[in-house]
This record gives sequence, C-alpha cells and structure tokens, in this order.
Amino acid sequence: MAYTRKDVTKLTRTERRRLVNAFLEIKRSGEYDEFVRTHIDHYVSDGEGGLRTAHMTPSFLPWHRQFLLELERALRRVDSSVTLPYWDWTKDRKAGAAPWTEDLLGGNGRITDRQVMTGPFAYSSGNWTIRESMTDALFLRRDLGRRRDPIELPTRSDLEWAMSDPVYDSSPWDSTSRKGFRNKLEGWGAGRGPVAWRNHNRVHRWVGGDMVGGASVNDPVFWLHHAFVDLCWTRWQKRHRNHRYLPAKPPGIGDEQRGRIVARHQKLPPWDVTPDQLEDVSRIYRYA
Amino acid sequence: MVVGVGGVAVGAEPGARGARPVAARGGRRDLLRGLLAAAGAVALAPVVAASRPSSEVRGGDAPGELAFDETYRGRHIRGIHHTGAPVGAAQWHVTVDGVRLHLMRRADGTWLSMVDHYRSYATPLDAARAAVDELGPGQRLRDSGTDTGDHHGVHA
Repeated sequence: MAYTRKDVTKLTRTERRRLVNAFLEIKRSGEYDEFVRTHIDHYVSDGEGGLRTAHMTPSFLPWHRQFLLELERALRRVDSSVTLPYWDWTKDRKAGAAPWTEDLLGGNGRITDRQVMTGPFAYSSGNWTIRESMTDALFLRRDLGRRRDPIELPTRSDLEWAMSDPVYDSSPWDSTSRKGFRNKLEGWGAGRGPVAWRNHNRVHRWVGGDMVGGASVNDPVFWLHHAFVDLCWTRWQKRHRNHRYLPAKPPGIGDEQRGRIVARHQKLPPWDVTPDQLEDVSRIYRYA
Repeated sequence: MVVGVGGVAVGAEPGARGARPVAARGGRRDLLRGLLAAAGAVALAPVVAASRPSSEVRGGDAPGELAFDETYRGRHIRGIHHTGAPVGAAQWHVTVDGVRLHLMRRADGTWLSMVDHYRSYATPLDAARAAVDELGPGQRLRDSGTDTGDHHGVHA
C-alpha cells in the first residue's frame, strides 16, 4: 500500500523524533555520505561534454525522484513508519519557524562561520560531521536568507510561472531552455541578475552554506526541498494530463545533445530505471 | 543504496568512478605543457608554474597563461588559462590559497564552481571570487588529492 509524504509543518512530535533518529542512524552507518557522493558525482554541467542525468537536463525531475526514493528506503529500513516530509517554501518562509526548529532541522548558522549551532544536526551534537564536502569545514553550514546580501524565497507566483507551462521540457534540453516546466522549475534563467536563478536553484541559495555547493545533500533540508519539487511535478502532471516527460525519443544523429540527455525510455544512471517508469509512482507514495 | 545496476543506455556513465567523460583524465599536465601565449587569450604573462611551491601548483606544473592572480577578501586566487584543451573547464586551472577550485562551464558560456553550484558567473574570475564569498573565516577548500580526474566533481 502506498505511504504518505506529509507537509513538514504537520508532523507530530513523535513523527519528527523518528524522522530525525532515522537520519542520524544512516549517517552513523556511513550510508548517508554515499548519497552525498552520488549527488556530487552526477553533477555534470551543460557546457561540458558527457551525459547529464541530474541537473541542467530533462531528467532533473525523475533523477531526483529516484534519489529521494532511495534515501526514503534507507530511512524506512531503520524505521518503517518514517516517510520524507516536504517543505513548501512558498508558504513556510520564516527562518525561525518549521522546518528550522530545534526538534527538526535546527536553526540558522551563526554569523561568523555559518556553523549550525542548534538541533540534531549541529556539529556539537557529535552526530553530524561533514565528511564529503567542497570545504574543510567539519560542521554543517547555513546562512538562511543570505544575511550579507539578502534574497527572498521563491513566491507562489514564481512557482506558478513554471507550473502553468504545459510543455514538460524543450530543446536544447539544458539550462538555456526558455520554454518548458522542467527548466522553469529547476531555475536556470537567462542573464546575470537575480532572475538568473529561480525556484529550485533559488531555494538552494536562500538556505546557503552547504546547500549552495555540489555537496548540498549534507544538509537534510535538501530532501525536504526536493520532496516539494517532486510534489510540484506531481501537481503539474495532474494539471496537464495530456503532457508527458520529454524528449520521448533520443536526439538524432548530429544533434548536439545526442548521448548527453536521457529520453523517456532510456535508463537513468546510476539506476536501472527509466523516466517513463518514474512518471507514475502513485503505488509507492502519495502526497498529503 | 544500490547504484550502477547496469542497463546504461546513454553514452558514458559519469557516476562510475574512473569512467568520467574525459578531457580531464590524463590531461591537464600534457595540455598545459608547451602551450604558451596562444592568440586571443588574456595573456598577461607566461607562468612557469613548476617554479612555484608544489602545494600551489598541483596539476599545473607546466607553462600556461596567468589570467588572474589577486588577493580577494584575504584569499589568494589564481587562474591559469591554457587554450590547447577542449573548450570548457579543462582550459582552466584555478586555485584558492593554492587549492584547486573545480570549475564547470554552462551552455551559455558562463561558469560555476563546485562551491557555488546553483547559479553561474560571467567569467572564471567571477566564479572564483564567488567561491571565496562562500568560504567562512578559517575555512579552506578541501584538497581533494590528485589532479587526475579521479576525485569527486571533476567532470571537465
């Protein structure tokens, strides 16, 4: 039977405790850091050669859907009552409120070095040492709202701009695609200013610290953020029922994107699964 | 988690260790060697990096062109450009306080670094400065060891 992913603000005290404990257990076993490495290893930029599976690519959404499923399975092996909650950043926009509470993700990093000082993922708790990272800091870092040069979380209308596009993705199938739900949600805009990073990308930058880099998975909020991105995909599918994952077929011979993106029925490395198989996951989980 | 369950249908698999796409592999040293002052580069001065302390020039121990070398917010940032490599990040050897900063190029010609991954910058220098902005006091880039492309995040 399908299980339910809930709004993080709706979790009971017990659910919060069990979720945190499951995270700490897979961190202790070393499994969590494998997820951090997988994310780092699959970040291929579109100005370079090679297959892009996770970012700047149509399979941004199914890749992260499968990534979340793998993490959720790991958590549920520890405690079968646990499911991944989602953080609706269009609604819960305060640095002092959920999910940034002491009994969940802990709060903001301190000003001097962005070190998270409260909650279960603070370095001082002894349970959350950063091992896979771009910097030598051993502690989790955050800079909610980016104090030095403040930015806002994406708004409902920012998100609606993406949700209202009926086409899943469009050529050239990368970070420069002007049309299509995928890139509008992933958030690569044109130009150099703030409009150049929207929705998903903007949330990474609003959280700051570890969330800004390739090792963003080190912050457990990564999963709550991506659960909401995944929920947005589910809502988009319901709203545009006649539209599916694109491209349906691999780019042809001579196309610059040939061999660099994953079409609907191609395998999505590192897993033995296709975007087509990941479009409907209603038998595995649903969103409340 | 289970990874690499076979069935790779599209080109190379970037996640498989040692099977990266690969301008980076085998390459930076050879590519740098002998590539002096190519036309069109922002040539300031040829740099014989081998004469510098080894910690500073890992992977760049041959002549290239020094594109920038400055102190930004107390950090020494330095970029060597070599035009012989395929277009993209393989053309750049950028360090912050002597530690390699991995850059990636976006399709629109802008640049990202592994430290600052969810937006991009006009030039490698801008990307290096932005990476410094993300480093807290006393924090350094993690020295990921070799420069052969075997460590995380090198997809150049």
